[in-house]
Amino acid sequence: MGTEYPNSPAIPSRPASPFSVPQSSTPFKSSGPVVGPEASAFRHAPPSSSQITPPSSSYGSMVGTEASAFRTIPSGMPNGAARPPPTSGFPNMPPAAGPYQHFPAPQFSSIAQVPPPRTSLAGQPVLWPPVRPVSGSFSTSPVSLNPTQPPPVQMGSPPQSGSMVQPDPVAPRSPIDSQFSAARATMQLSSPTAGSVYPVARPSFQSSFPGYISQQTTAGAQAQPRQSLAFHPKPGGYVPPMPAASSPYFAQQGGYAAPPSVASQLGHPREQIRHPGSTHPMAVMQGLVEDFSSFSIGSVPGSFDSGLDSKVLPRPLEGDLERNTLSEMFPLNCSSRYLRLTTSGIPNSQSLASRWHLPLGAVVCPLAEAPNGEEVPVVNFAQTGIIRCKRCRTYVNPYVTFTDGGRKWRCNSCALLNDVPGEYFAHLDASGRRIDLDQRPELTKGSVEFIAPTDYMVRPPMPPLYFFLIDVSAVRSGMLEVVAQTIKSCLDNLLGFSRTQIGFITYDSTLHFYNMKSSLNQPQMMVMSDLDDVFIPLPDDLVVNLSESRTVVDAFLDSFPSMFQENTNVESAFGPALRAAFMVMSQLGGKLLIFQHSLPSLGVGRLRLRGDDIRVYGTDKEHILRIPEDPFYKQMAADFTKNQVAVNVYGFSDKYTDLATLGTLAKYTGGQVYYYPSFQAAVHKDKLCHELARDITRETAWESVMRIRCGKGVRFTTYHGNFMLRSTDLIALPAVDCDKAYAMQLSLEETLLTSQTVYFQVALLYTSSSGERRIRVHTAAAPVVADLGEMYRMADTGAIISLFTRLAIEKTLTSKLEEARKSVQLRIVKALREYRNLHAVQHRLGGRMIYPESLKCLPLYGLAICKSIALRGGYANAQPDERCAAGYTMMALPVKKMLKLLYPQLIRIDEYLLKKTSLAEDSKDKGIWKGLPLAAGSLDPQGLYLYDDGFRFVLWFGSMLSPDRVKNLLGENFAADYSKVSLRELDNEISRNLMGLLNKYRESDSSYYQLSYLVRQGEKPREGYFLLTNLIEDPVGGANGYLDWIMQLHRQVQQNA
Amino acid sequence: MEDVWAWLLFFFILISLVVMLVFQLMCLSDLEFDYINPYDSASRINGVVVPEFITQGVLCLLYLITGHWFMSLLCVPYMYYNYRLYTRRQHLVDVTEIFNLLNWEKKQRLFKLGYIVLLLFISLFWLIYSALEDDEESL
Repeated sequence: MGTEYPNSPAIPSRPASPFSVPQSSTPFKSSGPVVGPEASAFRHAPPSSSQITPPSSSYGSMVGTEASAFRTIPSGMPNGAARPPPTSGFPNMPPAAGPYQHFPAPQFSSIAQVPPPRTSLAGQPVLWPPVRPVSGSFSTSPVSLNPTQPPPVQMGSPPQSGSMVQPDPVAPRSPIDSQFSAARATMQLSSPTAGSVYPVARPSFQSSFPGYISQQTTAGAQAQPRQSLAFHPKPGGYVPPMPAASSPYFAQQGGYAAPPSVASQLGHPREQIRHPGSTHPMAVMQGLVEDFSSFSIGSVPGSFDSGLDSKVLPRPLEGDLERNTLSEMFPLNCSSRYLRLTTSGIPNSQSLASRWHLPLGAVVCPLAEAPNGEEVPVVNFAQTGIIRCKRCRTYVNPYVTFTDGGRKWRCNSCALLNDVPGEYFAHLDASGRRIDLDQRPELTKGSVEFIAPTDYMVRPPMPPLYFFLIDVSAVRSGMLEVVAQTIKSCLDNLLGFSRTQIGFITYDSTLHFYNMKSSLNQPQMMVMSDLDDVFIPLPDDLVVNLSESRTVVDAFLDSFPSMFQENTNVESAFGPALRAAFMVMSQLGGKLLIFQHSLPSLGVGRLRLRGDDIRVYGTDKEHILRIPEDPFYKQMAADFTKNQVAVNVYGFSDKYTDLATLGTLAKYTGGQVYYYPSFQAAVHKDKLCHELARDITRETAWESVMRIRCGKGVRFTTYHGNFMLRSTDLIALPAVDCDKAYAMQLSLEETLLTSQTVYFQVALLYTSSSGERRIRVHTAAAPVVADLGEMYRMADTGAIISLFTRLAIEKTLTSKLEEARKSVQLRIVKALREYRNLHAVQHRLGGRMIYPESLKCLPLYGLAICKSIALRGGYANAQPDERCAAGYTMMALPVKKMLKLLYPQLIRIDEYLLKKTSLAEDSKDKGIWKGLPLAAGSLDPQGLYLYDDGFRFVLWFGSMLSPDRVKNLLGENFAADYSKVSLRELDNEISRNLMGLLNKYRESDSSYYQLSYLVRQGEKPREGYFLLTNLIEDPVGGANGYLDWIMQLHRQVQQNA
Repeated sequence: MEDVWAWLLFFFILISLVVMLVFQLMCLSDLEFDYINPYDSASRINGVVVPEFITQGVLCLLYLITGHWFMSLLCVPYMYYNYRLYTRRQHLVDVTEIFNLLNWEKKQRLFKLGYIVLLLFISLFWLIYSALEDDEESL
């Protein structure tokens, strides 16, 4: 022995720490894998007793561990007492220490390594089922151990049994156990006296070993390739360096433990162990990439020391990291811009689907903006008519196959053989491909646009029509001027030049119609005061062709703000005005933009002040505040949709305007709600300008319907977003644009899917602004999988979160906020629990929280959903209008914007501003912008931070930021109240840099205008309102912080796990 | 003899209720299979909802007036349910949400239909029973 352990001197150095001992001992035990976990257990142990238990139990057979743990960390082992007295089992322990010194140095080192990869340890058994984990580790101690291995079978069994059953920790009963205990005893080396026992143990090892070896070798060989897989570098994960293993054993060991060379590290973890409070090494998430990710949580209810370092928790700091597994698998799929599945693995049976507790479905953004060069190709089947499957109506797509010399094509979705029309015929080459394939974008691209023939029209394509319904009652905010200017400046850019129609109605307590006939010089205003029986004073000329009546429209836009400047009428006859607008527009359809400044107070559809009632919150009637009060609005919305009118609602009031009710109009017509609380032209002008201009000038698809088809056996059942269903699966969208996305959930119709692949096809039939009827088709294929793990592996957090958010918001319309939040939490818990169960059998999970790598940010986003404006808190946390507006907005957001809103970007910019780099240079290395965790801890008082959620910028000035710099940015009044300071470009480098930076960000995300708000550290209440409440990782206002949230999830996952 | 006539009247009222419910169910299933659009479907259904409620109320009242208090009692839960729907303004089909509520609306009406059919059979029984009794008396 002595020879084998040349490093014995090293040991003495360690004795002080109890931990070192166990590690060293492990190799002897032969159960290498065990060692790792144990070690981990030790580490974890200090913070939380609960953690210790699982690992120890898993190695239950090795009583020693416990004993050692017990002794070594008396303080850490509150539950140690609960254990059957391990000490009794080891009367001889003390003597064991002596031999210990002989242990081979290499071993130690290897063991030392072990701690980091520990998690991987747990994973490993799965990976190498044939290999006894024990043996693997065993081999690692290359030198002497050969003799000692117990019979393989038994060796293998202990860990397994351990994971499932808690073997009686007390005393070894079988001889093997005794060996273990002996080994363990060695672990206790800490006690110097252990020597006597030790020798005993060894012999036993040796005897058993021979049997083992053969197995190992084979197993080891297998293991190697896999391992390499397992070791993909993982962000945040703790990956042990690959051992340069000459022998298969080593390879294996790598999984468990890092190569011996790393021994130096050993000391490091140990140290940490000793000071568990200061650092939490165990929290390091390690992982087998192949399998799952995890981090250890020593969650002791009630204990302050969580044992978990919030730094290691997963965060989407690089933004939305899409995983492109699907597009690699099916390169012909449409881009994920257009269609994202919550999981690319479609479950093959209903029972499997029912175990997938996350939403199963898709998020579709049919008109997403494509980067230059990737525009959707347009195909014109003028002669042949659009080629579709006769049975399932699937459009021809890259996945159809041509047979019979090119005369027939087989539908990919329903497998029906269709005839190829004569004009579309092309010969097949030797490999069965059409020879004209490269000229046929519909057969090579996942997204195409067909020009629709007349059978797809119920009426001639409509011209783009914009109708403005403007509340002019006693408006003092400057809103009218801004709106008029913006519209006027956009007149040249409105879509569908020369066909564009435009019209206006304004209203206070009366309705004002404007005759804009092209022959007039000035618009004629007609006032209608009879609100009960609204009629249209002129059959035509209320909506006019813009290019013909341009001068009249210009004259109107110039004059109307001043006309109502002195208006003192405070009533708002919104309902009647809406009716009038409907009558005017019902012939053509189009886009109705409503600018509402106060609560509708006259005529049909008048609303009550109902949102300010604090007593309603927390009761069963709470949700009523979030649904429309008057059925009139729902009915109007339905009628608008029927007549192809999309409604966008702009709200401006600082007082309650019941956006819950007004927003219904937008919700069921495919529109959008914009809300500018307490609008002041001086402050919000840029925002309103930009957003209104974008609203009326962005490419829009008119009078459209959308349907998503999928293969046999799968069916889309529920749809979520701003639209109205025209039939069970037909979404009516009077107007769509690139900023709208729709989500849908699918279910399996058959108990078992027989196909290998499921095809999804989104078809949007619309009229383009140029007056062409078109069909945009996105096709995607997804594999059918039989394994839940595979589903998790192919999950897409972004799509899941998008659906989750929509479901949660819909839930707030029928129940309390609290319940909506709980339902989010519950589903995440269920999903993680199912995942845990999936792995609990083969792995000793202990107190670790495990989650699939693909869903690493799911818990964080779940928390973000609960803290989003639409769902947060209660009465005091958000104005009812703000909440509803956020809800309506989020229901329409595309995935990327949704993720950004949920977990905004926080970056430190003061250092950047000082750099003398020009913007052009800067744009190259965008990578320097690393997001920071959204916690107050990320904010350094000496820094300047930018918070960007896609809707606004918040600039946070640290209190220690040098006054010079602030002065450079804000000008002379830098010390004033920041609510009155506006950011503008000043004549110095820093200011220019800042404005350049902000503009760059705005350009990269132009669907909304990000207004900058300046906040100084410690400035109340602005700092809290703008920034602190949005730092979602902090516990704010009674809600959980990220850490607590994880702990809570973890606890719930473990219950009934 | 009046009893027979009364039961006959109840019988016809019940038949009319069945017809109204079946009509609503037909509209819903037509909608489900895409034979009609939601606007038509909703307006047709909403057209018969109130008549259905009124007919049912009248039936209950008639039972009470004619002294068939047990039958009247049987009608009360149904009437109460209708009343509750009405006061909460949930009695009409919501055209914007009709597809999301389709299953619920169908289920609700199927239950109502079953309930009415049950009443129908009881009424039928009493109709025949009282008719036979009349016969015996007249003999």
